[in-house]
Amino acid sequence: MRTLIIDDERLARKELMSLLEDHKDIEIIGEASNADDAVKMIDELNPDLLLLDIQMPGKSGFDLLQMLDFTPAVIFTTAYDEYALKAFEVNALDYLLKPIQEERLNESIAKLLKMEEQKEKSTSSDEKKLGLSDQVFVKDGDRCWFVKLSEIRLFESDGNYIKVYFENFKPMIHKSLNALDEKLDDRSFFRASRKHIINLSWLETIEPWFNGGLMVKLKGGEKVEVSRRQAAKFKDMMSL
Amino acid sequence: MNKTKLYWSLQIGGWTTYALFQLLIAGLQSELFQLTFRQVTFLILEAAVFLLATHLFRNFIIYKGWLEIGMRRLIPRVLVAVVVLAFLVYLGRISISFPIGLFNKEAFNPATIGALVAVYTFIIFLWVLLYLIYHYFERYNLALKHQAAIHEIELNNLKAQLNPHFIFNALNSIRALVEEEPKKSKMAINQLSNILRNALTTDKKRLTHFGEELSMVKDYLGLETIRFEERLNTSFEIDPESYNFQIPPLMLQTLVENAIKHGISRLKKGGNISINTSVHAGVLAIRIRNTGQMKTLNGKDYGARGLGLKNTNQRLRLIYGDDAHFHIANENDETVLTELIIPQKIYYEDTNNR
Repeated sequence: MRTLIIDDERLARKELMSLLEDHKDIEIIGEASNADDAVKMIDELNPDLLLLDIQMPGKSGFDLLQMLDFTPAVIFTTAYDEYALKAFEVNALDYLLKPIQEERLNESIAKLLKMEEQKEKSTSSDEKKLGLSDQVFVKDGDRCWFVKLSEIRLFESDGNYIKVYFENFKPMIHKSLNALDEKLDDRSFFRASRKHIINLSWLETIEPWFNGGLMVKLKGGEKVEVSRRQAAKFKDMMSL
Repeated sequence: MNKTKLYWSLQIGGWTTYALFQLLIAGLQSELFQLTFRQVTFLILEAAVFLLATHLFRNFIIYKGWLEIGMRRLIPRVLVAVVVLAFLVYLGRISISFPIGLFNKEAFNPATIGALVAVYTFIIFLWVLLYLIYHYFERYNLALKHQAAIHEIELNNLKAQLNPHFIFNALNSIRALVEEEPKKSKMAINQLSNILRNALTTDKKRLTHFGEELSMVKDYLGLETIRFEERLNTSFEIDPESYNFQIPPLMLQTLVENAIKHGISRLKKGGNISINTSVHAGVLAIRIRNTGQMKTLNGKDYGARGLGLKNTNQRLRLIYGDDAHFHIANENDETVLTELIIPQKIYYEDTNNR
């Protein structure tokens, strides 16, 4: 796995690197000492894994993740930060406490490799687009999630924000729907209207609507109107 | 001694003394110190009647809850009760004089009744007075103890603690340093153990010597310098007289930690921390300057920082009253100044040593 280390302390980065030396599955492709540098490196290098410190000068590890369109696998590293980590749902993330113990690190990496194997089987090879097994980082107030795109039923734009519908939650992320639409894989996601992107695997029923539009109902109960212009496209896709 | 035991020893002791005193007077009045057996029995029984009467009266006071009512309501009640009780004791005296054979028709003479009831009233009044004084004194003492305990608890709650984030980050840096610079890592382990020892022992103290606190802060900054490397520069300018002062333990440490946490660690390029002390007219001024800016308007930082500052202020007040001061503000566009003014005298005595 191509790995990027992000920590503001040189010694902390060095310590991680020396711990990872023996792992042949982990290839360290770079290190960054702050969030801004890290974002650039992530865009350029497209790493599979981030080893990410939470508290850094300027922007925190969470801020960094929010700047990304989608996130690679992430293992947080922190000295003592129970509050920040409590924000996450159980099992939603992996973290290592500094000083890092080798056994814990090995466990985390083993877990990741296992997940990565499964992912590779299911994903198609369209490099730049986001598939269902990719994940996004969502932070709303004090709560955080890593959400697999397959779990997201609907994106709904709301001013400068996008409401993300999954499970019982609909937190907001600060992004534009157009930019997101370009990144998403057409085979899984459909732009229903100016305001909505739906996940096709969550479709339940489709009904004709006014002006040649359509009304789709999602398995989560949300109803979304498909505009006339998009309805034709939608019918084409569905008939395939 | 428990309270019931104390009460009974005072009761029995007091009334025995009374009986002996009465016997002495009667003895002096008689010729050649000759007392009849009857007289002695009578005086002892009289004291016993007093003992019984006052004991019942005490139960009555407790039962009626008179100890809880205010003076205004208590005084008239007690005065009436004392007179009634004196009269009852007088009746008791008559009824014991019968079997002993000392009964005298004079006992029903209004003048005799008046005089003796007045004497008894006075005696019982004295008893009540002693009883109430003891009671109020004890209550006052309890209240004082209670207040001291609260005071101590408050202070303990406010006491600063070492930031765990710092400890684990330091350990992490040291771990990396072991390979890179073994000598430096050994020194760092010593610094960390000094800090931990200090934090563990001063935790129980109310005040610590300035020198001890300063050396801890120096160790602390030494460790943070390992962690932040070129991002942290430190300087000290210490007035030698400062070492005569005592300061609340971990207070300077907490303020310096704050300066790192909210100042240096948020800056990509890092900055400086300087500690300067001066003594004027028996007052110690400690100034900590750190690179950074305090956000005051809706800044999230201020809230988190606000609690720590409030604690520091409260601690100072509990120890020094209004004589100590603590102030933090932006000194200019790039520096935050934390100022701590500490007098030599403390305001409250140390309740730990009572």
